[in-house]
Amino acid sequence: MTRLFGIIFCTILIYISTCLPTLARQSLPVDTGKVTASLISSHDSVAPGQSFYVALRTDLDEGWHTYWRNPGDSGEPVQINWILPSNMSAGDIHWPLPKPIPTGPIVNYGFEGTPLFPVEFIAPANAKTGDILTLKSEFYYLVCKDVCIPENGTAQILIEIGDTVTDDEWREPIEKALELSPRKAGVNGAIDNANNRIQMTFTDLPKGDVSKSYFFPYPQGVLQHSQPQEVQIGADGLRLETAPDYLWDEGDIPKNISGILTYTDNGIYRGVEVDLTVNSTVDIGAISSSKASPSIGDITVWSALIGAFLGGIILNIMPCVFPILSLKALSLAKTAHNDRSANRKSAWAYTIGVLTTFILIAIILVIIKSTGAQIGWGFQLQSPKIVGWLAILLFVIGLNLLGVFEFGAGLQNTGASLTKKDGFAGSFFTGALAVIVATPCTAPFMATAIGYALAQPALIMFIVFIALGFGFALPFLILGYMPALLTILPKPGPWMVRFKECLAFPMFAAAIWLVWVLSFQAGANGVAIILTSTMFMAFAIWLFKAHAKWTKILAGLAICIALSLPVTLSPSAATPSLDPVTAQTDTQIWSQEAVAQNLAQGRSVFVDFTAAWCVTCKVNERLVLNTKAVQTLFSETQTTILIADWTNKNDVIASELQRYGRAGVPLYLVFTPKTGAEKGIVLPQTLSYDVIKEALEN
Amino acid sequence: MRRVFIPITLAAFMLAQPSLAKIDTGAKVSDMVVTDANGMTHNLSDYTGKRIILEWTNHGCPYVKKHYSTNNMQNLQKQTTANGDTVWLSVISSAKGKQGYLTGAEATLKNIKRGAEPTDVILDPAGVMGRKFSAKTTPHMYIIDETQTLVYQGAIDDNRSANPKSVQGAKNYVLAALEDLEAGIAVQDATTSPYGCSIKYAR
Repeated sequence: MTRLFGIIFCTILIYISTCLPTLARQSLPVDTGKVTASLISSHDSVAPGQSFYVALRTDLDEGWHTYWRNPGDSGEPVQINWILPSNMSAGDIHWPLPKPIPTGPIVNYGFEGTPLFPVEFIAPANAKTGDILTLKSEFYYLVCKDVCIPENGTAQILIEIGDTVTDDEWREPIEKALELSPRKAGVNGAIDNANNRIQMTFTDLPKGDVSKSYFFPYPQGVLQHSQPQEVQIGADGLRLETAPDYLWDEGDIPKNISGILTYTDNGIYRGVEVDLTVNSTVDIGAISSSKASPSIGDITVWSALIGAFLGGIILNIMPCVFPILSLKALSLAKTAHNDRSANRKSAWAYTIGVLTTFILIAIILVIIKSTGAQIGWGFQLQSPKIVGWLAILLFVIGLNLLGVFEFGAGLQNTGASLTKKDGFAGSFFTGALAVIVATPCTAPFMATAIGYALAQPALIMFIVFIALGFGFALPFLILGYMPALLTILPKPGPWMVRFKECLAFPMFAAAIWLVWVLSFQAGANGVAIILTSTMFMAFAIWLFKAHAKWTKILAGLAICIALSLPVTLSPSAATPSLDPVTAQTDTQIWSQEAVAQNLAQGRSVFVDFTAAWCVTCKVNERLVLNTKAVQTLFSETQTTILIADWTNKNDVIASELQRYGRAGVPLYLVFTPKTGAEKGIVLPQTLSYDVIKEALEN
Repeated sequence: MRRVFIPITLAAFMLAQPSLAKIDTGAKVSDMVVTDANGMTHNLSDYTGKRIILEWTNHGCPYVKKHYSTNNMQNLQKQTTANGDTVWLSVISSAKGKQGYLTGAEATLKNIKRGAEPTDVILDPAGVMGRKFSAKTTPHMYIIDETQTLVYQGAIDDNRSANPKSVQGAKNYVLAALEDLEAGIAVQDATTSPYGCSIKYAR
């Protein structure tokens, strides 16, 4: 019964709305299904010859969307057909700013919520006061969620000729919509297709943040809507890079392509209309930052923090940290059966040592960055001096572990006393040492996080580094608070001495590795210098065993010599001789030109960004790249291997790493004739045969 | 924890797996094994020497309905396959549970009811074939020539509306392409923007 009444009521309403003119500034709303549509006007009455706006207002059900003038990969634009008095005509739709709406692998351009579509009208100049203008519209839109429904309807609105009276309710929303509707603002733009990549360059940008800009082209077929647009900010402008679509294939591309460039101003999402000149570029000055654009997988502060934290935890089991951690484990084993509060103190001291060192590294990075230099993670080990000192330090610790000498009280703060002292200083310096030695290892997750951090303001960078430090220290912090875990260890006894001595050998191994690194950085002379240093160090330790005063002075002198010798180390002039992928396959030195050349010859390219001090790189080379299977794969797929060696400081390589959002090595790229030379496929940091195969064959 | 992992993994693998890589018009279509409504597998290369017309479809989509309710699609199927040298494959890439998904038996029944006569219906609920061809909409049309070269991809015609009346008078790109092929000349409109509903891929 009520239903019947409802139907009758609706019929009456529809009858009224279509037949009886009512002087409302909003037409009766039409519920077309998923959308409620109406016409609204900026004015209640207008003078003859005056301009005013009428908008189609569409109120979409939650989760449903309609489409922009270029609907993207599918869909159909909102359409309005006006039926007007004979002496009137309608202007163009002032389109609202669209947003990308991804559905699976498809990206559409459209609207959600309550978009308005304002259109300008001019009252006929010969109209008389008291005349009524009847503006009727037939509208049509495709509205989609999981499924699509075409909906349409008609609505009409009546405007009186008379004094100028704006509408209380609707003038403001219409003005707001007009203000947000993108218009030209003097932005220069150009578009070019080079090596199957679209480059859009813009200068004279509007005021605001363009780091997440996106370009919506008016025509279809210019760029692939589903591909991310990568943002690069230059001193004088902006560059967006993405994949071209079919218009470029057949020379059908028009001379000019218009569209909307988005940006944010004070947190408000805005856009400007830009005409792009085809097959040209505008100069945007020096590139300052590069970031993938909003549509997919943008890394946020939070994911960077979590990534850094997880990366820190994983660092604990990376090969470069392991020897140091065995030291810490030993010191814990000593206290395991003693005092619980001492355990906690020592865990915290270790944590603070780790954090302090990470913060120091961050400070140094900020300082170096402010001078404009290109640096990245692992930069400490790019200096042969630091590598030299580290080698000496590890050698001395090894001797100490072997029981060659014991530290005196006066030396307790040198950081090497860590195994002797269970106190605060000992744990603190273990933490510091662990971080320094950990730097050559980039754990999975950490690379993206640090790459992100380096491109951020100092504060965010510090926070990311602190998260990294906490992750790194976490296992020992847990041990400090859960002594139950420590009771698993056997009771203290003579075994501890043997265990301690045994730990000397990983130390020596780490020292040998550093000397090996040094051999690439400073050549044979560098190796000789550092081995001489270690000899002086051993000599000093031997002298300390005698108690005469003059032997101590002499010992001090020997230490001075040992520590100052590495200062003379400098990067050798010789070109890098690093040859990590040694087998028969075609191996060349990396350069961007080399990538392009090989592609031009129809070959694929595998780029190995590596460094002698990068342990992850070495592991990948040993376990994956140098295996017969992978080498065969490379030769079968006609792949050239290009080595980018970052053992020493190299700005070209650093900026290339930055282009891929990385701060350090390893980075593995695959270029195939399909990808073009501009942007390779990034492989994960832990390589496998399947990953390489898939990338090469894709 | 999972929510946290996803953005990171996404960031790491984003560039490694482009979501829709397109096959350029003029490129060869490599081997591709597909399954039809009867559960039989075919390799597209088995059809070497014949012309293949691919039609992405979704019976619930208004743009597909436009072409079936007007018998436009059925007529096109009959007309193009009459010579026996052309194979028409209707492809359903809707994921299970989404609009347009049909089992083999349902798809066959559907076609009997509406008088459609494709050579076969290909079931692609995982979206493998759809993604390989970068199919975006229903309908989305492809023509592969006798040498397994992709010679046309895009819309069925030039009226991008869901209104059934718009079929009349529209330029049918598939027929035009076939005429060009018959005349032995290169297809003039070899790539157009497809229109219609987005394909309801498995995510």
